[in-house]
Amino acid sequence: MEFLDLLMLGFGEAMTPANLGFCLIGALLGTLIGVLPGIGPTATIAVLLPITFFLPPLAGIIMLAGIYYGAQYGGSTTAVLVNLPGEASSVVTALDGYQMARQGRAGAALAVAALGSFFAGTVATFAIALAGPTLSGFALSFGPAEYVSLMLFGLLAATILASGLVLKAIGMILFGLLLGMVGTDAETGAERLTFGALELFDGIDFIVIAIGVFGFAEIITNLERSGSEGVSVAPLTRLWPTREDFRASWRAVLRGTGIGTFLGLLPGGGATLASFSAYSLEKKVSRHPQKFGTGVVEGVAAPEAANNAAAQSSFIPLLTLGIPSNNMMAMMLSAFMIHGITPGPSVLTNQPEIFWGLVASMWIGNLLLVVINLPLIGLWVRLLTVPYRLLYPAILLFCCIGVYSMNNRIFDVVLAAGFGLLGYAFRKAKCEPGPLLLGFVLGPLLEANLRRTMLITQGDPSIFVERPISLTMLVATVILLTLMILPSFRKTREEAFQEEEA
Amino acid sequence: MTALKSVALASAMLSVAGAAWADWPTDRPIEMIVAFAPGGGTDIMLRTLAPFVEAELGTQIPVMNRPGASGEIAYTALSQAKPDGYTISSLNTPGFLTMQVDRKLRFDPAAICPLARIVEDPGTFIVQAESEYQTLADLVAYAKENPGAVSVGTTGVGTDEHLAMLQLEQAAGIDLTAVPFAGANEAKTALLGGHVNLIGLNVAEYTTSDQNAVRALAQFAEARSTLAPDLPTAKEQGFDVLMSSERGLAARCDVPEADRARLAQAIETALANPEFQEKAKQQQLPLSYLSGTDWTAQMPARLDRFREILALVEGGQ
Repeated sequence: MEFLDLLMLGFGEAMTPANLGFCLIGALLGTLIGVLPGIGPTATIAVLLPITFFLPPLAGIIMLAGIYYGAQYGGSTTAVLVNLPGEASSVVTALDGYQMARQGRAGAALAVAALGSFFAGTVATFAIALAGPTLSGFALSFGPAEYVSLMLFGLLAATILASGLVLKAIGMILFGLLLGMVGTDAETGAERLTFGALELFDGIDFIVIAIGVFGFAEIITNLERSGSEGVSVAPLTRLWPTREDFRASWRAVLRGTGIGTFLGLLPGGGATLASFSAYSLEKKVSRHPQKFGTGVVEGVAAPEAANNAAAQSSFIPLLTLGIPSNNMMAMMLSAFMIHGITPGPSVLTNQPEIFWGLVASMWIGNLLLVVINLPLIGLWVRLLTVPYRLLYPAILLFCCIGVYSMNNRIFDVVLAAGFGLLGYAFRKAKCEPGPLLLGFVLGPLLEANLRRTMLITQGDPSIFVERPISLTMLVATVILLTLMILPSFRKTREEAFQEEEA
Repeated sequence: MTALKSVALASAMLSVAGAAWADWPTDRPIEMIVAFAPGGGTDIMLRTLAPFVEAELGTQIPVMNRPGASGEIAYTALSQAKPDGYTISSLNTPGFLTMQVDRKLRFDPAAICPLARIVEDPGTFIVQAESEYQTLADLVAYAKENPGAVSVGTTGVGTDEHLAMLQLEQAAGIDLTAVPFAGANEAKTALLGGHVNLIGLNVAEYTTSDQNAVRALAQFAEARSTLAPDLPTAKEQGFDVLMSSERGLAARCDVPEADRARLAQAIETALANPEFQEKAKQQQLPLSYLSGTDWTAQMPARLDRFREILALVEGGQ
């Protein structure tokens, strides 16, 4: 078996003490920066990149990759414990994860997240090993037209995220779209909604909004409810998930893994879309959709599996085509190039030890992360017992440092504070911020791709139905829309009939 | 007594301050502002160079990223820093020049003095390897027959690729369609998937791409880049298209002349260091040193050219 030989070669490379050590350092570092809100893996890797000059190529790349998926693990920890999603892909984890923490099930949420991520990471790693080159073709077949249809589907699916009124969810999505408009128009260079502020030229950073409407708003609400006494966290019942938790979540993990592996292939927003879609899907297939958002374990398992699978599979376009699918992958590309390696089909044939060594190290890294994170859960959970009057200034401080360090400017911190107030107002109005963030992330992608499509076809919209992938997704969108309208339509009709009969 | 003491103390402090001034640049770190996000080409280049300049000056040079508005945020920050030689910034064209044409700036471009140009990277047009266009002439011929049908992936308005495209349109009398992407990598993906006909890249980006998948039609330099000695320039093919991106370093003009000269000298020596040259080679940096004065002297001509091109956009399309 050639495949097994190559995989063995990879494990041989990845298991050398030095490479194992760098994998561990990367995973640890990643977990740490993932836990600190706002300090993202991209900035960390940028700072560490010059250091990798002095390492052998594979060791350097293994360490950077470790930071990347380590951060995915760590990011969910703060989402669960203090309702603070560190990155776009862990926003939905906060929805149910934080509720679980408040019911004293933080340990269970974190353990399910870690184990689900490990499983998803394993599957996605093997997907890279087995089908990497084939899957990369799928990424290429996504042109602007396909993206438009996918984004439409994603935006519609976002309404499922909310547990309240659909109308409010749609309102929040639209508001998110509006926020996504801020910045310079890519096609004409015109300023939009910047109010003359230079800092808004490139739009608003996701982290600014996320930390504002989730992190700051949560703190304001908590302080209002209980003063500085603390959040009423139910006493910790048990650290580990129950048998029912596992039974409830294994299917969610499987579905999340599948969605994540595929969507992670797509350049731009793959991991975010994956975690949102996985959550929406779980809610749709669940027998108790009304419970989502109140702390159901599937609501944590599915998006965590999805974003970790996506984090792994986003390596596929980079390794097989030399095309990075997001900023993080662009940094990885630089890491390869510093060592004179040009990722692409030639690496697979000329330097198989690099490709297979990295693939093998990803699996080892995921294993290490479970080993690191499971014992840490006890420690993290104990954080919740720290008096809130000590905890919230620390959270605020880390949030501010994180927001400031993105672009080194105070403007962003003030803006995040503004979004904090806005988020507080939304809570009072019972509007959920999840759909807003999805609108904010997907809106600019929808707009840019719609305009690209129209430019390429010179204004002919028939491309959307002529291309098979695009058509499939449009049909799916229509079906989803019908499903959403029909039950309520039927219900109101039934109610109307009952009233008539009565 | 106390008065005497405080006078003594004050004079001691003054002398310390005076000494500190004379100690430039070793008494505190020199901040290097980089106008792009961590991990971009400019960022990695300057982070690689910084330790060599540090060794020359005997000081520390921490890198501070101030990304946004294609460099305007960084240039504004540089203009607002004290003119004491402790702040330098990256400087990139065409961004630094085009923003003078089409924006109302919040800083004075004339108050920023280049210290050195480090890299000049010409633009190219690339197509899929199986594309029927072999030369610029093939492309022009097709575009003449089918106005607007050829789509060109760029990274936005006023970027090198966009300006190169406008020059070709003007030089050949054709009509192309610019399709903006969020970055070179997105554009490359769209090209490989066959969603656009060609894209603009810099030569360094082209030479690090998979050579079996793409082909370059021309480079837009006066003379062929050292990175691509076999690729003919647009001028050789009969089209007047000149476009390259330059990256260098700059300081405020009102930093004392001697300090600026010292900085420029240190950068020049650092660039000549064989160890740096080796690293630059690994990163495929098209090194092309130019002194601050020479670089400044070139800028007005380039600026005029951009002004003409951009005026055409606003007038015609």
